[in-house]
Amino acid sequence: MTNDAAHGPLLATPWRDRDPARAVAWQTDAYAEAPWHTLATFQADVGAWQAALDAHTESPDYWMLSTHDPYRFVCALIAAWERGDRVILPADTRPATLEALDALGAARLGDIPGGLTPSASPRTPRWGTLEAERIAVSLYTSGSTGEPQRLDKTFAQLDAELGMHAALWPLEARLTLSQVSHQHIYGLLFGILRPLCERSPFASEVCRYPETLHQWLAHWHAQTRREAVLISAPPTLERLPETLDWSAVDGVLARIHSSGAPLPRDAAEHAQRLLGAEVREVYGSSETGGIAWRVQSRDTGWTAFPDVEISADSEHQLWLRTPWLADPATWTLQADRVAVDDTRFQLLGRSDRIAKVGGKRVSLTAFDRALVELPDVRRAHCAPLPRRDGRLGAIVELTPEAVPHDHATRRRLIQTLRAALAPRFENVVLPRYWRFVKAWPRDAQGKLGAACLSRLFADLDDPRAPRWLGETLDGPQSARLTLEVPERLAYVEGHFATQPVVPGVVMVRWALHAARESLGLHGVCRDMTRIKFPLLLLPGERVTLTLDATYDSSHETAHDDTHNNAMTIRLRFTFTSQRGTHGTGTLTLTRPEGACHA
Amino acid sequence: MTSELEHELKHLIIDTLELEDVTPEDIDPDEPLFVEGLGLDSIDALELGLALQKRYGIKLEADSDETRHYFRNLRTLAALVEERRTA
Repeated sequence: MTNDAAHGPLLATPWRDRDPARAVAWQTDAYAEAPWHTLATFQADVGAWQAALDAHTESPDYWMLSTHDPYRFVCALIAAWERGDRVILPADTRPATLEALDALGAARLGDIPGGLTPSASPRTPRWGTLEAERIAVSLYTSGSTGEPQRLDKTFAQLDAELGMHAALWPLEARLTLSQVSHQHIYGLLFGILRPLCERSPFASEVCRYPETLHQWLAHWHAQTRREAVLISAPPTLERLPETLDWSAVDGVLARIHSSGAPLPRDAAEHAQRLLGAEVREVYGSSETGGIAWRVQSRDTGWTAFPDVEISADSEHQLWLRTPWLADPATWTLQADRVAVDDTRFQLLGRSDRIAKVGGKRVSLTAFDRALVELPDVRRAHCAPLPRRDGRLGAIVELTPEAVPHDHATRRRLIQTLRAALAPRFENVVLPRYWRFVKAWPRDAQGKLGAACLSRLFADLDDPRAPRWLGETLDGPQSARLTLEVPERLAYVEGHFATQPVVPGVVMVRWALHAARESLGLHGVCRDMTRIKFPLLLLPGERVTLTLDATYDSSHETAHDDTHNNAMTIRLRFTFTSQRGTHGTGTLTLTRPEGACHA
Repeated sequence: MTSELEHELKHLIIDTLELEDVTPEDIDPDEPLFVEGLGLDSIDALELGLALQKRYGIKLEADSDETRHYFRNLRTLAALVEERRTA
């Protein structure tokens, strides 16, 4: 099956070509032995993965695949596909997410605890048959509008969408640099399958920081004199720093793609100005794949992709039909409202989201709108929480001056908001749980997804946890978290009868927990130095927890076998609020033997 | 002066109803619990009834005048528990 015309670029299986020197992936490491993973090495790596899968004792229903790097990912993916297997992509690597997939009979593959890795020596791969109607991958929606949903994609669906993109915006040997996760549909298609199927190279690693992007673009251009395409998302594009000398890499990027959430217009202009290329935004969803695109510097309206039929009903709801939907013949309803003009449309916002609280129907959209109309409220999102009676939680972004910093102001604010909503809504449906933020919490896809939501309300189920209200990562080893001390915190009970406070040892425990969650630092605390708790931390108080980790080479121990794997970490933590510093100190952590470096 | 029972009931209300923004000091024993004052609602009333039954063995008929009387504020609630507790 090598006739490209009969089907799209995926079913043409270009990775089986006899073209051993062709570049599949570009080695981002400037000191790598060779600048490329060629088709010959790629095929041998696929063979090595197949050997590992063959050696697995049981034959699982699916392979659950998650890797940090695109190159490793695609080797494992093709190895499984060519064996006739199906791959499931967990949306994140939280233990609960992975355990739920274990329960479905999926075996773990890649960079997750217990994940199979390829056999050490390269092997000759076996090619199977990719039947168009077979399920190739299952992925999960972000869960921004409810529980994450599983979606199955057949080879035919992926093939049709890849074919459309290849015809519209051919890569033509440009390098694909991805800043997004390939565990989601956009990153999978744009970051990995498009270059693989269009016989164009992609970067072997994900490009996480603007400094890396700058460095890779310069390195790529010096090496090849060819252009590159950037696969990005709103959170990354909005935060491109002016301080890097972007003019040095001007003209290297041919275009930028952004998806996951609408890109604010000023962010589109900012990115275009710094990176010197147009941002072609893609609108779509995990369910539908790509629907439309726009370049905001030219027009804010969206243009439907070729082969996508769109229409709106009397309530402005968007209906569509595409060859890459599960049922290409049927019109499918989208949760967005639009104004359609032929093949172009304006997005008017999400359709109403409905929830039931204590058996009463309520429009969450109406709540969000009512809250945003109130003074000091910038943005709001109400969501039913998995608690008794489906009581609502509200995430409210406030102007910085309106953010409450202690119990009394927070209580007053909630009373004011409830009083403002009371005339329009029944008492029982009013949000019970409030989370006030200064910056909108978002995941790497730019969404307030299920993982974010569960973190915001995690303290409800854990009476020992602080309330998490967002975080900023200042590089891989430092983070600033916004936390609030829940009034019902188990630790404050009975400490002093008259003045409940957070004990210092609890602050230390929170710092360790946050280092694990936010920086991926797994270790055992061996020592504490310069610990001080100058100011009492009270229930209801809002604090910033700053974490800075350094690898301490002077403490390297006997288990150290490589330079990169230093086992001693010094973690500096500080809890500060408007009133001052509540706790500070340095913790010395040692990583348990055999633990993997996240 | 808040009695020990009143203090216990404040904790019962806060924990049962998952009131995040209320500490025991915020509950005025003479202030209404429902609608105004603390702002509890009809679902909360059912939850509270169940909690009283579980903790003190007190059975109340939902939506009766008697229940409405006892649920007026923290003092009336404490009086109910004093009189009728079996556990």
